[in-house]
Amino acid sequence: MRPYELTLAAAATEIRDRRLSPVELVDSVLGRIDRVEPHLGAYVTVAAEQAREAARAAEREIARGRYRGPLHGVPVGLKDLIDVAGTPTTASSRVRDGHRAAADSTVAARLRAAGAVLVGKTHTHEFAYGLTTPQTGNAWDGGRVAGGSSGGSAVAVAAGAATFALGTDTGGSIRVPAALNGVVGLKPTYGLVPRHGVTALSWSLDHVGPITRSVEDAALVLAALAGHDPRDPASVAAPAVDYRPEREPDLTGVRVGVPGNHYVDHVDPQVAAAVHGAVEQLEALGARPVEVEIPMARYLLPTLWGLVAPEATAYHARTLRTVPELYQADVRVLLEAGELIGAVDYLRAQRARTLIREAWARLLAEVDVIAAPTVPTTAVRAGQEAVDWPDGTRESVSDAYVRLCAPANVTGLPALSVPAGQDAAGLPIGLQLLGRPFDERTLLRVGHAFERTQPARALAPVLRARGLRARGL
Amino acid sequence: MSFAELTPPEAARWAARAGLDLPAERHAAVAATAEHIRSVVAVLRELDFGDTPPGAAYRAGGENPDAAV
Repeated sequence: MRPYELTLAAAATEIRDRRLSPVELVDSVLGRIDRVEPHLGAYVTVAAEQAREAARAAEREIARGRYRGPLHGVPVGLKDLIDVAGTPTTASSRVRDGHRAAADSTVAARLRAAGAVLVGKTHTHEFAYGLTTPQTGNAWDGGRVAGGSSGGSAVAVAAGAATFALGTDTGGSIRVPAALNGVVGLKPTYGLVPRHGVTALSWSLDHVGPITRSVEDAALVLAALAGHDPRDPASVAAPAVDYRPEREPDLTGVRVGVPGNHYVDHVDPQVAAAVHGAVEQLEALGARPVEVEIPMARYLLPTLWGLVAPEATAYHARTLRTVPELYQADVRVLLEAGELIGAVDYLRAQRARTLIREAWARLLAEVDVIAAPTVPTTAVRAGQEAVDWPDGTRESVSDAYVRLCAPANVTGLPALSVPAGQDAAGLPIGLQLLGRPFDERTLLRVGHAFERTQPARALAPVLRARGLRARGL
Repeated sequence: MSFAELTPPEAARWAARAGLDLPAERHAAVAATAEHIRSVVAVLRELDFGDTPPGAAYRAGGENPDAAV
């Protein structure tokens, strides 16, 4: 196995035991980026020289016996909404031309302190306001969407162009691209990971979290990111937790909620079958499925939209007036339309959130986790604007991809997307697990247990897939 | 409850009142998008909120500020 193919956990073990040097690992990942990036478009910038220098420093430190932990010497890609001192945070937008971050974001500083090596900044749907990331191709089929808005991060991890990455999630933007590219995405509980230094889309819905190749990897990254920072008003002082799941978790007695509504309507039969199979696997591991009804389902998307549209417009109010022509068309019109939403409608959405959160708290007193699809369909073709369902319903691609992820943003609950097989076209399917606030540990334990029942995952076959298509096969 | 659809001139006027001058060629697209968002968000008017406060300063873990769970 080549170093760029290693999971974070495997690479960490190799580095800790000095069978692999950070320099070898970073060189391997940079070499992989050189080969696959022309086919993917996952990165805004690749900082090869700085990464090599950081890898040499990590190598020297470890050689002196100063091993910092599992992220030490491991290459990471950061979504380009996340500030890194001295470098631009482009938000994949011309609006940010000339930008330069004065200081590290909290998460970048914490990764740096843990010894991680930044290899580059990854593409986002412009300012995270979209679900496709059009600059980036899906890792499994370049003619299909990467998903978004953290599309570059998910594609880089799926293709071996980063050992792990960070994304942000306002309506599914970590979980959607993770599901569509066959990698793991964790949206932590609202407030667990500080957002200071991360460009906002919607303050009351935004989260930062890891995109990784395994659930164990997500646990390792979360441990480095979590912790209070008063510079993010939503940040909470949650107790330090060892998130790493046991090697062979026992799910005896774990109650898995299986929704009978919301997550079953307008879902591709292959996706539904994969999730059904996943629940059976969890049951075989000792978990107990419990049928549940999702409360206030009709109000989930209205609440999300009632929050995100005015908050995003408020964030962009100044540049929308000074340089509106620099925004992409799809983002500009959403920001402009957001000006027309009244304050009472916004507060109604905030009050609906209170009711929804209380209803979900009652639901999660009955079950430990909820198992559902991450997205109702696999990656659609680039440029496709709508999904047609068999009952004649037509749904925009954005609405389809947001629909099943929105509950965790509205409620702040943690949610994990884990690969759960592929459809007939070979495109990845995501299982979504939702849990109680600040109970990431249970979520990761269940996700890891499920992951162990699945065949070992390989990297996305970027070069082979592109080669076949180039030859018309 | 029925709502009259937002017209392009109305969208332009409302935006102007918010301090955003929209070029004429944008009126129709902004009106259509604003109308779509309004139609989605208006569903929340069905709810009886009673004394429910907004969730703007909410804690995902409840009211305990140290979030110990």
